[in-house]
Amino acid sequence: MSIVTGTFRALAAALKQLPKKRMTLRYPETQLEMPGYYTYDPKLGVAKPGYKGRHILWLDKCTGCQLCSIACENISQAIEMVKVNRAQPNNKKSIFPQVDYAKCVFCGFCVDACPFYALGMTDDFNLVAYTKKELVYSPEKLAVPPKVTRPKVKVKFEKDVAFHE
Amino acid sequence: MPVGATGISTQQVEEDKLVVSIGPQHPGAGHFRFTITVEGDMIVDVLPDPGYVHRGAEKQTEYRNYTQSIPLLERSSLTDVTNIIGPYSLAAEELMGIEIPPRAQYLRMIMSENQRIISHLYWLGIQAIFLGHSTMFMWPLGDRDLLIDLGEMIGGARITYSYWIPGGVRNDIPGNFKERALKTYDYFEKRLVDYERIFFENPLFLKRTQGVGVLKREEAIRFGVVGPVLRASDVKSDTRLDEPYCLYKDVNFEVPVYKECDTWARCMVHLFEMRQSIRIIRQILEKIPSGSVRVKLSPQQRTRPGEAYARVEASRGAMAFHIISDGGTKPYRTKISVPSFRNLIVLKKLLIGSHVADMPAIYWSLDYWPVEADR
Repeated sequence: MSIVTGTFRALAAALKQLPKKRMTLRYPETQLEMPGYYTYDPKLGVAKPGYKGRHILWLDKCTGCQLCSIACENISQAIEMVKVNRAQPNNKKSIFPQVDYAKCVFCGFCVDACPFYALGMTDDFNLVAYTKKELVYSPEKLAVPPKVTRPKVKVKFEKDVAFHE
Repeated sequence: MPVGATGISTQQVEEDKLVVSIGPQHPGAGHFRFTITVEGDMIVDVLPDPGYVHRGAEKQTEYRNYTQSIPLLERSSLTDVTNIIGPYSLAAEELMGIEIPPRAQYLRMIMSENQRIISHLYWLGIQAIFLGHSTMFMWPLGDRDLLIDLGEMIGGARITYSYWIPGGVRNDIPGNFKERALKTYDYFEKRLVDYERIFFENPLFLKRTQGVGVLKREEAIRFGVVGPVLRASDVKSDTRLDEPYCLYKDVNFEVPVYKECDTWARCMVHLFEMRQSIRIIRQILEKIPSGSVRVKLSPQQRTRPGEAYARVEASRGAMAFHIISDGGTKPYRTKISVPSFRNLIVLKKLLIGSHVADMPAIYWSLDYWPVEADR
């Protein structure tokens, strides 16, 4: 192929893209639809696929066994067991995990360690904060399911175009 | 020592020789420094200086049990996370003496091949921007996101999935995965044709890469390079073919071999491999059996005392782990053999005698990833 035809073919390939919809996801205005929560089934020993974002703690199921904290020990030491003023028969010591998101690496091995279906990971990834202190999520804060107000978009494929809508 | 606006410092050593320091914060070079001595426009000496991001991953695995090492090891090679965990899991499983169910093996292969495309696309984007082609930087990095979406559907994260673990994989694929994956790969294959038109057949690309940085067959074997660099030097070598792990013997794929041995050949190997990876995933999605995906292990799983060695074909070449265990819950010693470091040795061979302008093209065609090499 000569230089002239090669150059024109390259230009034509670029020009072909002009009328196509743009693929960019406009993040702060919209956000990608997430695959759901990542949870683990200790009976089957297999996790359910989902997004490994911020944790969710089902307080009434947590027994304060510290296995999540132990699982995290050599990974990032993000989980600390803290006392919560809460009377719960299955949790005599009233200790619950508190996650420091300045340290967490979102590997999800704490979820895999929980034998009581008490810990999961939500599809919330909007964890920005102004101070490091705000990134420490107390058990009560972890128990609240995340709320996303911005509109969610999906990837769509049409012939040879992919775009977010 | 005058420092230019670009941050590259130069030093006059002899009458007409100049030492140019590149890195360690070079955009694209990663945390890696090399010093070249130039005489006019020709490079006469190269001094690679790796080690800026050494974090002792091998030593650190000695203090963690077999599961806890995974998030740490993944961070050595962020574009290729599945394949760096692969040999580690395989070696640990050999020591634990467990059999992995076939469905888990296939899921590992899907993730591994998807990761290979992701890594190659990242490489392609940087290679293009090194050659001054910004469109080809934008396109692969945009399309890479769609493949990362697929990884996210399975692995639950965008980059660090921690998906392969000793004992199988973390979770099964979601129900709508096959449909979405086929759609994505159909789209992506059409894009690859566009890539060829605008970049791989572009006369500018051909002029910049053909005949540049030739690594002959005998030299490639003598230096012991691996992966795409070796295949571009006319050696048919692929761990997936030579010593099949997982269930690679059940799928059909071709291994690209190019006789040109230059930078162009190294680029074409990457393009060829992306198509082959899609081909492998399509075959797996057709014939994946149902069943369990994970063998349940105790949190503090003990291994037999002894040694295990496992090797997989990562996107940059053969990635191997050698684990020695004394029968405890943690490895006694781990040795990681990474492809990046093995390919670095030829940098000196290829750069000496070439033009300064060819330096980025040759350097990045080796797909050197400093963090992986330094471990």
